[in-house]
Amino acid sequence: MSSLDAMDMTRGITTDTAVAPLASDESVPSGRHWLWRLARYPALTGGLVIFIVLGLLAAFGPLVWKGDTSSVNLLSSLLPPSLAHPMGTDEFGRDVLARFLIGARISLLVGLAVSGFGALIGGAIGVVAGGLDGWRQGVIMRMMDAVLAFPPLILAMSVTVALGVGIVTGSIGVLVGSVPWYARVVRSEVVRLRNTPFVEASKALGASRRRIYLHHIVPGVLPTLVIQAAAAFGYSILALAALGFVGLGAQIPTPEWGAMISDGLQYTLTGQWWIDVFPGLGLLLAATSANLIADGLRNMLDPRGVYARV
Amino acid sequence: MIRFATGKIASSLVTVLGASIIAFIVMRVLPGSPVRLIVGALASQAEVNNTQRALGLDQSVPVQYWDYISNFVRGDWGFSYSVGEPVRSLLATRFPASLELGCCAFLFAFGGAIVLAILSLTSAWVERFVRSFAFLGLGTPVFWLALILLVVFSQSLHLLPGPEGRLSLNVQPPPKITGFYTIDSLVTGRFGTLWNAIEHLILPALCLAFAPFSFLVRLLRSNLLDVTREPFMAVARSKGVSRSLVILRHGLPNAFLPTLTASALVFAELLAGSVLVETVFDWPGVGALVVQSLENKDYVVMQTFILLSAIVYVTVNLIVDLLYGAIDPRIRLARGTPP
Repeated sequence: MSSLDAMDMTRGITTDTAVAPLASDESVPSGRHWLWRLARYPALTGGLVIFIVLGLLAAFGPLVWKGDTSSVNLLSSLLPPSLAHPMGTDEFGRDVLARFLIGARISLLVGLAVSGFGALIGGAIGVVAGGLDGWRQGVIMRMMDAVLAFPPLILAMSVTVALGVGIVTGSIGVLVGSVPWYARVVRSEVVRLRNTPFVEASKALGASRRRIYLHHIVPGVLPTLVIQAAAAFGYSILALAALGFVGLGAQIPTPEWGAMISDGLQYTLTGQWWIDVFPGLGLLLAATSANLIADGLRNMLDPRGVYARV
Repeated sequence: MIRFATGKIASSLVTVLGASIIAFIVMRVLPGSPVRLIVGALASQAEVNNTQRALGLDQSVPVQYWDYISNFVRGDWGFSYSVGEPVRSLLATRFPASLELGCCAFLFAFGGAIVLAILSLTSAWVERFVRSFAFLGLGTPVFWLALILLVVFSQSLHLLPGPEGRLSLNVQPPPKITGFYTIDSLVTGRFGTLWNAIEHLILPALCLAFAPFSFLVRLLRSNLLDVTREPFMAVARSKGVSRSLVILRHGLPNAFLPTLTASALVFAELLAGSVLVETVFDWPGVGALVVQSLENKDYVVMQTFILLSAIVYVTVNLIVDLLYGAIDPRIRLARGTPP
């Protein structure tokens, strides 16, 4: 690495969570578990803890707390939180906690799916585009720019409308809007990597193009991709909830958090706050923990990198 | 500068063209049968065929695309079946409401970001608080925030009005000069109406502004930190300029410039957020119109809206890029910028 890069690394980095020295093996005394390294990143640890708790709730919650989420029981409608119903009941008498837990499953799974597939597809496009030269690269990136011309939520809404409303189509809509971000970020990484000395050396040694890509470029792109996926995870949870809120994502009676908030809108404003507050808190916790993890990963893996906002 | 500008304008046009193709694919080509959406599931096959011919949907795809584009450019944006008005006049009526809300939110976001970014330079506690607060802003669902604010400020504390729209039910809108209730009532001397309009603007604008504010305050803070480490700041201090003057006169203008480019992103956030916020607050703007027409399965509005929002977004980006190039010579003279 050139001396300029070394200077860049030692200069102060203005990221927002606590700045720690670049993670290197010397920070963990030999014999200590690598998890100890997490202690230097309190925000990341906090985010991980919240996320794991939510994940456990989503995975095992519905098995432990068996509430009826679909049938109507008007005798117990709109009950405030109590021991029997820790989050109260909604207008149909359904237990809000039970719906909350299933909503957690939906949100987390969709977030994972959208960011996972987005990273895969966007990353592939980015690697291909970064590997091409001249006008071919330009064409691909122009296509990405065209998709980026739409505010992401608006694009997601129209794709969902076009394909027919539902969670799956809503996820596809959010996915389509997020792919160009990955492509841009990965492409610039690939271009940077292609010009590094070690790739040049590999080429000089006669390595095939395939080997260079598989052994150098793709592993080099992975940290960037992971960080971008973590950032997109929080965004996709909120985006799907927004789609559910306007009636385009999950449909009745699916207990998706955004749809739950929209259902409870009229009741919240007349005093039955529990129907909306809890799903919203769930969204807040899920998205914030994802953002904390993304920030922490960025500090740990690549503090200098430039990331797309999503 | 001319060369820089033409390059930017050309690439914006290409982007808009690409966006129009995508909008066309999404809204016309993808749905199984857009005609079915219009005539309904119970219509006879003859009706479907007639409507198809009337809408030009039995033409080949390139011809359809050409019709779509030429209609759009001419201003023929279709007819909204659920509302009973041409889309163009519908959008024109509702646009000022959204614009007023957007401008107010923009002011809140930028103003709040500047104030809090400067404040966070003062003490470590303030800095940590601002940082955490802004971080929460990125993860809060905007429609939920709207509800919480309504419950707290309108229901419990009775400080601000509820989701009634732009004015209380018993207040008449001022005569239309700009379409902005605040400016119009100020100019015509209706101060009661002015106050009422402001009261109704506060909560929705705050909700809309929260996410852009969070983003901007982090950006501004990080830029300010960078700038305060620059040598010229130390020189100014050593010449005797007070700490606050140094930050205000030297630090802030330099730190502010990168946030200019961020304002394009802020604009996109405002566009998307307005769809959600207007629904909660019953605000008679374009966003609420889109949601209402979607509920009524009236997709004509959506068709126009996505293409329009793409064009406006690209235009805002272009203006910001040109402004940035005009202000900072390093931008417009950079050679070989990556595609």
